[in-house]
Amino acid sequence: MNFLQIIQQYSQPMLGGLLVTLKLCAVVWISGIVIGSTLGTLGASFRRSVGGPSKVISVILAGMPVLVFLFWMHYPLQAFLKVVVDPFLTAALTLSIINIFLVADQVRNAITDFPRQYLDAARVCGMKANDTLFHIQLPLLLRQLIPGLLLIQITVFQMTIFASMISVDEIFRVAQRVNSLIYRPVEIYTLLAFFFIAVCVPLNLFAHWLRVRFTRDHSER
Amino acid sequence: MLKGEKIRKSFGDIEILHGIDIQVEPGTITTIIGPSGSGKSMLLRSLALLDPPTSGTVFIDEQAITFPRNTPIPTQFAWPRITVVFQQLFLWPHLTIRQNAVLPLRSRGILSPEDRVDQIIKEFGISSLADRFPNEVSLGQRQLGAIARALALQPRYLLLDEITSALDIEYVAMILDRLKSLRNRGVGLLLVSHLIDFARHSADQIVFLDNGTLVEQGPPTILDNPKSSRLERFLGLVLGAR
Repeated sequence: MNFLQIIQQYSQPMLGGLLVTLKLCAVVWISGIVIGSTLGTLGASFRRSVGGPSKVISVILAGMPVLVFLFWMHYPLQAFLKVVVDPFLTAALTLSIINIFLVADQVRNAITDFPRQYLDAARVCGMKANDTLFHIQLPLLLRQLIPGLLLIQITVFQMTIFASMISVDEIFRVAQRVNSLIYRPVEIYTLLAFFFIAVCVPLNLFAHWLRVRFTRDHSER
Repeated sequence: MLKGEKIRKSFGDIEILHGIDIQVEPGTITTIIGPSGSGKSMLLRSLALLDPPTSGTVFIDEQAITFPRNTPIPTQFAWPRITVVFQQLFLWPHLTIRQNAVLPLRSRGILSPEDRVDQIIKEFGISSLADRFPNEVSLGQRQLGAIARALALQPRYLLLDEITSALDIEYVAMILDRLKSLRNRGVGLLLVSHLIDFARHSADQIVFLDNGTLVEQGPPTILDNPKSSRLERFLGLVLGAR
């Protein structure tokens, strides 16, 4: 069986797996960006009550392998709470938590490290607060944040394959299942590699382009 | 006039400014001199309301702003009537020199801000650099860009913090020339500077600060005949080091 025959014969389950991966990814990306940015912004404004705890959680999460955290959410936590949650939801929740705190960290740091002097300059120029926010603070923050955030989203996308470990029928698990039926690991895992490359490389290039285009060297000589 | 009365500034238990009285009239140049850490920049920031005084009163023309206060500072009245050119300039790095000057005017709803900015840029001889980003021009040109941004706002008082400290002599001369012409147009200038010669020849008033205290103030002649031994010692060190 060659690549084409595998694709032809197993296109339905493969597309199903792809769809699950993309759904998982969409949930994790959206929740991470929306909630993470909000948490990061709040963390920069309320450093003790929000920023501090958020940072502590980030440090704890950074010290725990993703797979361990996923398994902990899937088995011990559910056993402790005496609930059974759909593995897709468990994976989505776990990866979302990771993404939220990664994004929050980036956003919080970018805001707290933002040079206040640029805002002082806007104040003494008599600029309106809205104009300062939209024409000075946000453009400078976004230029700094977007490439890093994109790289985080690529990493999180790659993490979705861990969901296969708790029986989520995403693309990696489907590939494993197909392989167990026909045992063509070279073709199947090469196809899988192409899929991830096809998604990740353009995103990486996009992040690189953004970095080059918008985060040009501002340093004064 | 821009006036500070009994200006005190503290951070916790540490008092940086100890009740300073200072006055800047429109159409005059006041130069603050003093050793490092004497509170020159803090006094300037306090008068500009960027670091509001812990106590004292800042008068901006007819408006008196007293500290401490329970109500918000009427900054909409103060800025850009008073504006500041900082030592590090703080031109917004994502905007060109021209955009840096146009944005505040646009934010203030001024019609055709480009015309006003272009006129100033032309006057400053930096038209060819106006569409470059701040890091693409020399420090002296950035300096002119920062002053152009401030002047486009047509301030009544312009506060400048050590803006010539890192410039070569040619740019210093050019910038000081611009400042003198601003004085002639009625702008009140308050400079924190280490340029004793400029102060001597161009300032209308000299203010000598030491350790957060106003030690001596008066016309430039105080530089030739200082009354206080502290100013005499300071001038001896500064002039002797040249």
